[in-house]
Amino acid sequence: MSSESSKKRKPKVIRSDGAPAEGKRNRSDTEQEGKYYSEEAEVDLRDPGRDYELYKYTCQELQRLMAEIQDLKSRGGKDVAIEIEERRIQSCVHFMTLKKLNRLAHIRLKKGRDQTHEAKQKVDAYHLQLQNLLYEVMHLQKEITKCLEFKSKHEEIDLVSLEEFYKEAPPDISKAEVTMGDPHQQTLARLDWELEQRKRLAEKYRECLSNKEKILKEIEVKKEYLSSLQPRLNSIMQASLPVQEYLFMPFDQAHKQYETARHLPPPLYVLFVQATAYGQACDKTLSVAIEGSVDEAKALFKPPDDSQDDESDSDAEEEQTTKRRRPTLGVQLDDKRKEMLKRHPLSVMVDLKCKDESVLHLTFYYLMNLNILTVKAKVTTATELITPISAGDLLSPDSVLSCLYPGDHGKKTPNPANQYQFDKVGILTLRDYVLDLGHPYLWVQKLGGLHFPKEQPQHTVIADHSLSASHMETTMKLLKTRVQSRLALHKQFASLEHGIVPVTSDCQYLFPAKVVSRLVKWVTVAHEDYMELHFTKDIVEAGLAGDTNLYYMALIERGTAKLQAAVVLNPGYSSIPPIFQLCLNWKGEKTNSNDDNIRAMESEVNVCYKELCGPRPGHQLLTNQLQRLCVLLDVYLETESHDDSVEGPKEFPQEKMCLRLFRGPSRMKPFKYNHPQGFFSHR
Amino acid sequence: MERPAPVAVPLGQAEVFQALQRLHMTVFSQSVSPCGKFLAAGNNYGQIAIFSLSAALSSEAKEESKKPVVTFQAHDGPVYSMVSTDRHLLSAGDGEVKAWLWAEILKKGCKEMWRRQPPYRTSLEVPEINALLLVPKENSLILAGGDCQLHTMDLETGTFTRALRGHTDYIHCLALRERSPEVLSGGEDGAVRLWDLRTAKEAQTIEVYKHEECSRPHNGRWIGCLATDSDWMVCGGGPALTLWHLRSSTPTTIFPIRAPQKHVTFYQDLVLTAAGNSCRVDVFTNLGYRAFSLSF
Repeated sequence: MSSESSKKRKPKVIRSDGAPAEGKRNRSDTEQEGKYYSEEAEVDLRDPGRDYELYKYTCQELQRLMAEIQDLKSRGGKDVAIEIEERRIQSCVHFMTLKKLNRLAHIRLKKGRDQTHEAKQKVDAYHLQLQNLLYEVMHLQKEITKCLEFKSKHEEIDLVSLEEFYKEAPPDISKAEVTMGDPHQQTLARLDWELEQRKRLAEKYRECLSNKEKILKEIEVKKEYLSSLQPRLNSIMQASLPVQEYLFMPFDQAHKQYETARHLPPPLYVLFVQATAYGQACDKTLSVAIEGSVDEAKALFKPPDDSQDDESDSDAEEEQTTKRRRPTLGVQLDDKRKEMLKRHPLSVMVDLKCKDESVLHLTFYYLMNLNILTVKAKVTTATELITPISAGDLLSPDSVLSCLYPGDHGKKTPNPANQYQFDKVGILTLRDYVLDLGHPYLWVQKLGGLHFPKEQPQHTVIADHSLSASHMETTMKLLKTRVQSRLALHKQFASLEHGIVPVTSDCQYLFPAKVVSRLVKWVTVAHEDYMELHFTKDIVEAGLAGDTNLYYMALIERGTAKLQAAVVLNPGYSSIPPIFQLCLNWKGEKTNSNDDNIRAMESEVNVCYKELCGPRPGHQLLTNQLQRLCVLLDVYLETESHDDSVEGPKEFPQEKMCLRLFRGPSRMKPFKYNHPQGFFSHR
Repeated sequence: MERPAPVAVPLGQAEVFQALQRLHMTVFSQSVSPCGKFLAAGNNYGQIAIFSLSAALSSEAKEESKKPVVTFQAHDGPVYSMVSTDRHLLSAGDGEVKAWLWAEILKKGCKEMWRRQPPYRTSLEVPEINALLLVPKENSLILAGGDCQLHTMDLETGTFTRALRGHTDYIHCLALRERSPEVLSGGEDGAVRLWDLRTAKEAQTIEVYKHEECSRPHNGRWIGCLATDSDWMVCGGGPALTLWHLRSSTPTTIFPIRAPQKHVTFYQDLVLTAAGNSCRVDVFTNLGYRAFSLSF
């Protein structure tokens, strides 16, 4: 290449000088080819500066010769041609020098270029290498970062903590000596252990699954077995019926009763269940039965929507019929009232037998629209009772269960929601209907599990078994005590009306042997009449004379002295004592407002009644109180101080033994009887 | 007077019993605390109730302020008389006198500081103590009651120093005549006796019922109440309420009240008296006419 470029360049250089080109070139070529003459080597030897000087000198010589030639030519002459020839030969020599110099210059240039080129090529090569290396470096760096960011899946596994691992893993896995120092080995060991554990657990899981399958199968088998048992048991029951009758064990009867019980409304059902349970568990004298028509009950029992429809239907029917008949408003209202107060066709009968063969029959009804229970009571005795006049109210169905619990008079409906229903049909109070429907006592509602809270009236009240169970025992006991106390009073009244105070032998010790004052009269008194009496105002003011109590008047006489006693008998006798108010007519009228001793006598029977209760259950209280009044009257009359100004002996000589006649600033008489010494002293 | 309407509350056994107890309760004695803020009252069941006078008399008194602050069972029998020293409340009833500390009395479960029983002669029945009288000069207490004697007890040592005998029936009331230290006692036997405390002997006897102007045989002869103003004495009970001049032992004025009087006291120039059976407290001047009556 370099020779070609020099060949190309040479002609240009020569042409620019204007010298004959091809001939010289040919000669230089042959010169070059013929001789093994290296001008390249010569170049290295010559100094470029001297060559440049030579060039400048040659050019100058040429210019001079040309100028001389010019001069000679212009002068003309003969020898000019020889000189011109000479000069021309010299200039040809100079031209040859120039050509050589040119060649040298070219060679030098070529060499220079070649060298540059070489160097450049080397530089390029290095540059390329550098680029390659840089590229590789970059690539490696990327790889390194990739490697560093690499997260092995093993880091996502939650391994057990180090301490646990060393504790639990078997030594061939944990290899403590190796792993302690080397975290890589440690992690490996931990992963190993993890794998172990997982394999074991997977095993266990499989075992458990198979167990479960087995057990499920067993359950299936047993279920089949049990379901096949039912028809067998039924057939046994059928077969055992004749045996039951033979042995007087009426299981079937009980069963039938339970069947009927299913049709009872919920409060009656609660009552039935609880009463039966109580009877079986605690009290053999209690018997429960269901009365009424089951078919009617079934006819009533429909889902709530239907029954509402029924009601509206029946209302519609009623309206239609009333339109047709055109009855009075009263009749329409009457029908509505009857509808409102309708009873459920089934009722529960509970019979309580008492020790003396008397029976308390209780019939419980459920008023469907009012959601309350009522009860009707009847007492039957073993022998027929002749009712004394004053005992009329004692056992009457209306009042025998009145105020079983204080304040529970059973004349008002316990369900506050009923008032609104009553307003719609014009019923003022349930009191007018209790004789027919039974009394809605609060304890009856409780036995049926119905609770009507006063503070937050609830929309629907449902029957609650636990409420019933918690009240059952107390109520039954109270009922029995009530019947027995009323029967006891019944007997006592018969005797009192004849003027005899029946004191039993075990209460005789409370009184002295000789009692002169006598009971003359014992009658009932109406509540209004009691309120009108002038000596009962204190009791009325203290709120102890309500309209649920029974009132009586007793008259005790001795000689000219007449003692009237007004008695308030609380339905809760005998736990609540009868209250006496006295009025003595003897030498003037003395009552508790004008004579402290009369007040003391009242206190002796009213406040100190506990000593007069007698043996349990305390039915002797009233008779003992009356007897004590007789004794007190005796003491009063006999200890009255003799008035010196009046002549004559005392009407009542002192026969009672008294330590002192008067005591204390109020000068009380000795009313307290001491047994067995038999003397009277002060409290 | 309006009576409150009867309350229609369902009454259980406990409420009925409480109501009956209250109907038959009699308050026999009362005493004001030394600070003047509390009133102690004793009743026939042996209970003492402490009322807060400052609360009950204040302008914002409610129903609860009129109920006792504390009530406790003090004696087995009725509490017939009470008197207050500057630190103690002394109560007496059924034969013993007990002392209660006023500072402790409002706390629950208060126990008596001490109890003493005068030496009685009879053992069959324990006689009651009807009257207590403090003699400040001697720092002693005089008790009188059912055993017809006056017993003197020294308040510091608690010993019974004297027993003054003379009454033939039990003693109702006592009064102190300050100038010459003398005690007057009135009893069931109808006599008012004056006792000299220094000689421990009976100085004078006035048998009220023997005087025709004041005796009322149909009521009996018992003397229920006594008050003295050193020269004068008022007494009443079975006989009519009479003002006596002590030196001459003559009745000077007879007050025209029918009912037997239970309490009487001198107040400045007036005589205040109350009967147990009426609702009035009558105020008389010394001249014998009724000035006015305070009525319940």
